[in-house]
Amino acid sequence: MYELLKGLGSWLVGAEQWTGSDGIGHRLAEHLQYSLLATLVAAAIALPVGLLIGHTGRGAFVAINLSSFGRALPTVGLVVLVFLASGLSMWPVYIALVALAVPSIVTNTYAGMTAVDPEVRDAARGQGMRWYQVLFQVELPLALPLIMTGLRLALIQVVATATIAAYVSFGGLGRYVFDGLAQRDLVQVLGGAVLVALVAVVLDLALSALQRFLFRHRPAPQS
Amino acid sequence: MNRENRINRMNRRALLGGLFAAATVPALASCSSGITSLEGDGAGGGGGGSSKGGVTIGTANFTENQVLGYLYAAALEAAGVKTTVRPNLGTREILIPALKGGDIDLLPEYQGALLHYLDTKATATEEGTMQNALAMLLPRGLQILPYGEAENADAFAVTRETADEYGLKSLADLAKHNGKLVIGAAPEVKKRTVGSVGLKEVYGVEFKEFKSLDSSGPLVKGALKKGDVDVANLFTTDTDIAAEGWVVLTDPKNLIPGQHVVPLIADRKADSTVRKALARLGSVLTTKDLTELNRLVDKDRKDPEDVAYDWAALHGIKK
Repeated sequence: MYELLKGLGSWLVGAEQWTGSDGIGHRLAEHLQYSLLATLVAAAIALPVGLLIGHTGRGAFVAINLSSFGRALPTVGLVVLVFLASGLSMWPVYIALVALAVPSIVTNTYAGMTAVDPEVRDAARGQGMRWYQVLFQVELPLALPLIMTGLRLALIQVVATATIAAYVSFGGLGRYVFDGLAQRDLVQVLGGAVLVALVAVVLDLALSALQRFLFRHRPAPQS
Repeated sequence: MNRENRINRMNRRALLGGLFAAATVPALASCSSGITSLEGDGAGGGGGGSSKGGVTIGTANFTENQVLGYLYAAALEAAGVKTTVRPNLGTREILIPALKGGDIDLLPEYQGALLHYLDTKATATEEGTMQNALAMLLPRGLQILPYGEAENADAFAVTRETADEYGLKSLADLAKHNGKLVIGAAPEVKKRTVGSVGLKEVYGVEFKEFKSLDSSGPLVKGALKKGDVDVANLFTTDTDIAAEGWVVLTDPKNLIPGQHVVPLIADRKADSTVRKALARLGSVLTTKDLTELNRLVDKDRKDPEDVAYDWAALHGIKK
């Protein structure tokens, strides 16, 4: 165990580990690219859906269950399935990651919207606000803390799961995990896993700091 | 020969299962080895070993190894030995300690892969030499029996179209197209002698790109079929090679070690009944048979136990 940790230490700080197309720097950039792009696409799909069902109160059952279906899908299975249909491309990875990220965003957005006090909504309507004004000027700002929590959850899941890009020959930090397992190089596996965990923690802390800054005049969200 | 252990490579699909097993089985194994050491030298007693108390066969977590396990069981039962099969135990890292510890007694192995597991620097590729090397390297209490006819070796395959287009027959022909072809294989193949390293050293082959996929699994075969890779690392008993009409490149310089099926057994159970039964099975079972049995399980979704016993009965191996 001590040997493993010592190996991990020198693996992480070795200068040659950080440069080149196999280097940690490049792999880190790839990993962030996959994760952020997938989360953005997922948000583009899930936010409108969540806002709509939250605002109208209709279709919640169908939308929540349908999106949870994505959460229940085994990611590796989905990757292989899309791979066999599409061939060797990033499609399998992005489809699987987006399917994973959508449920947390939809459910949290919906939860944020339904948590808006009905009296506030009524007051807004009573003042003569149109439906989109109610949605964007009243409901959305009030629901934002929970929506942010959903985005954070989605991003963390995606960062942890983006390792599967390496399963279908692409890069990212998963490269170290898959190559290390295949080559029986435990230090490499551990190094990859530690880096993924670090990225997840750092991103989560950054987003939570952002969240605190944005909502510094409000009580903390309950999630 | 420098090759990664085969069981490990075929394991990718069952990766999680393997990890779980890895976490639990070594603990079990070390427990029971403590118990057997109190009882004396194993369960059978006596110097030469005895199969009277029955033989427990362990198998790794991929189709072919399970089929082989049940074939061993059928052969031993035909010789009047009681057997228990414990299928799907995991990788060699789990199976060999379990064999030493007494949880299992017998294991279907592959010459080259086992040799490389025991000595990563081993260079033998010829069957007889490997058999001798294995006999020397095996830990105390374990032995290998004579190897069988059937073999599951590494193969580098291309589609018929690629073979015609580039004029590919042997691995040496790949060097004529250095920098043009893309190879798809499991990640470890990039650093292995039976892979990028050996192909470069022995045949002077340099690929345009190495795509890390899986071991003779759906990814590498799908990529070969779609033309995303030109050359794929497959196993010779893969049923899709014949079904898809893929061309296996010949190996004139013997880069790829032989992988005949060989029984690995604990001394405590290796009596003459067991030896004879397994030697007979080994001489009857061919690579073609094994490929067909794999196909029945993987494609026709038959039960590995059923196909093994049916095959054995068909070849006169029954009670």
